Amino acid sequence: MGGLLVTLKLSSIVWSVGIVVGSTLGALGAQYRRVVGVPSKVISVVLAGMPILVLLFWMHYPMQSFLGIVVNPFITAAVTLSFVNMVMVADHIRGIINDFPRQYLDAARACGVSRRDTIFRIQLPILLRQIIPGLLLIQVSVFQMTIFASLISVDEVFRVSQRINAQIYRPVEIYTLLAAFFVVACVPLHLLAHWLKARFTRDYSER
Amino acid sequence: MLEGKNLHKSYGDAKILNGIDIKIEPGTITTVIGPSGCGKTTLLRALALLSPPCSGEVCIDDRIFEFPGAASEKISMVWPEVTVVFQQLFMWPHLTLRENAMLPLQSRGVDGAHKVVEDLITELGVIEFADRYPNEVSVGQRQLGALVRALALEPKYLLLDEVTSALDVEYIALVLGRLKKLRDCGVGILIVSHLLQFARNSADQVVFLVGGEVVERGPAPILDNPSTKRLAGFLGRVVEAENGDYSSSVII
Repeated sequence: MGGLLVTLKLSSIVWSVGIVVGSTLGALGAQYRRVVGVPSKVISVVLAGMPILVLLFWMHYPMQSFLGIVVNPFITAAVTLSFVNMVMVADHIRGIINDFPRQYLDAARACGVSRRDTIFRIQLPILLRQIIPGLLLIQVSVFQMTIFASLISVDEVFRVSQRINAQIYRPVEIYTLLAAFFVVACVPLHLLAHWLKARFTRDYSER
Repeated sequence: MLEGKNLHKSYGDAKILNGIDIKIEPGTITTVIGPSGCGKTTLLRALALLSPPCSGEVCIDDRIFEFPGAASEKISMVWPEVTVVFQQLFMWPHLTLRENAMLPLQSRGVDGAHKVVEDLITELGVIEFADRYPNEVSVGQRQLGALVRALALEPKYLLLDEVTSALDVEYIALVLGRLKKLRDCGVGILIVSHLLQFARNSADQVVFLVGGEVVERGPAPILDNPSTKRLAGFLGRVVEAENGDYSSSVII
């Protein structure tokens, strides 16, 4: 139960920071391409080439050794995974804003729709319909990534499962339960993302 | 009057409009014809100030916009007095056809918006699919939806880009009849179209563009007696294409 709470606490921090900061960064990146967009795209490309586990270990050992500090592994995991989530969310949101068909805005201008209504009744609803399904899927991936925290000694659900297994040796039951936990937590989010996509994301192609 | 004077527009090295002069008087229909890529859509967007020309002047009644340099705040005041129905329509995909027509009126606080839209929906035969989303209807039905959205704005100048391309003859007659009514009410209409018969019957002015330049212009009879070889050749190929004969088709 303790491991479960640590996983949920870690996920909550990673989700909140990633979504709030990532969304802001993504929106700013689309607005200010040179100053924010390009640097965050570079970070995203570098991060795409680096396994998360390597980044986590690098933040846990070399970085702390270089700075001469010792940080609680939970905080290291929270900071690293929040950073990863933030970059993924920013990339997702920036891409969708940049791909927004400008012609819808032209149509709004030609029809004399006010700037406020163009933003709140045309741009935002279309953008949110595109953003939310992908954002949910990113959060599912990030939730699954939290098990990497076990490798830097964070007592989250996977590490606790390993420890219990080491004591009572019931791998089938323990790891099946662990798998069931992730399935129960992730599958509904997956289904919700697909439902939202099918229900609200309109076909832009206007076949 | 909506007037473009010496309009130039380039994208990089490609000159799309090359010194075009055009006038659209209130209560008249101007048909712009020409081969693909001759600058018809660019001209329409320039006149509507959606893609302002690189140089030249657009006059809308007593307002003069000189390019380069016209202030964008002033430009925004011309919509929807001048409005456009785009070839690709650009119906907002998260709204039904009815909501697409309602939104601009609601945004501008127009009294009786609901009645205006409902009357047009009924008149143009959109009622059966008015509550569907743009991706749930055919291109022709979307074209009707886009027309309802534009007509509901009661513009002074209406610019239409190939808006009947996917309609069947019955609907084309309906739409063109409505456009004639609008003309009679004093609306200045510019229509980019390949419907030569409509141009013959209804256009007060026909403008033939090639390579971003006006090659010939005049009243509808120029379609029967063109004075330039280019227009004669173009009309000949249109007639051949309508008859299903593409054997002499070449790029003008």
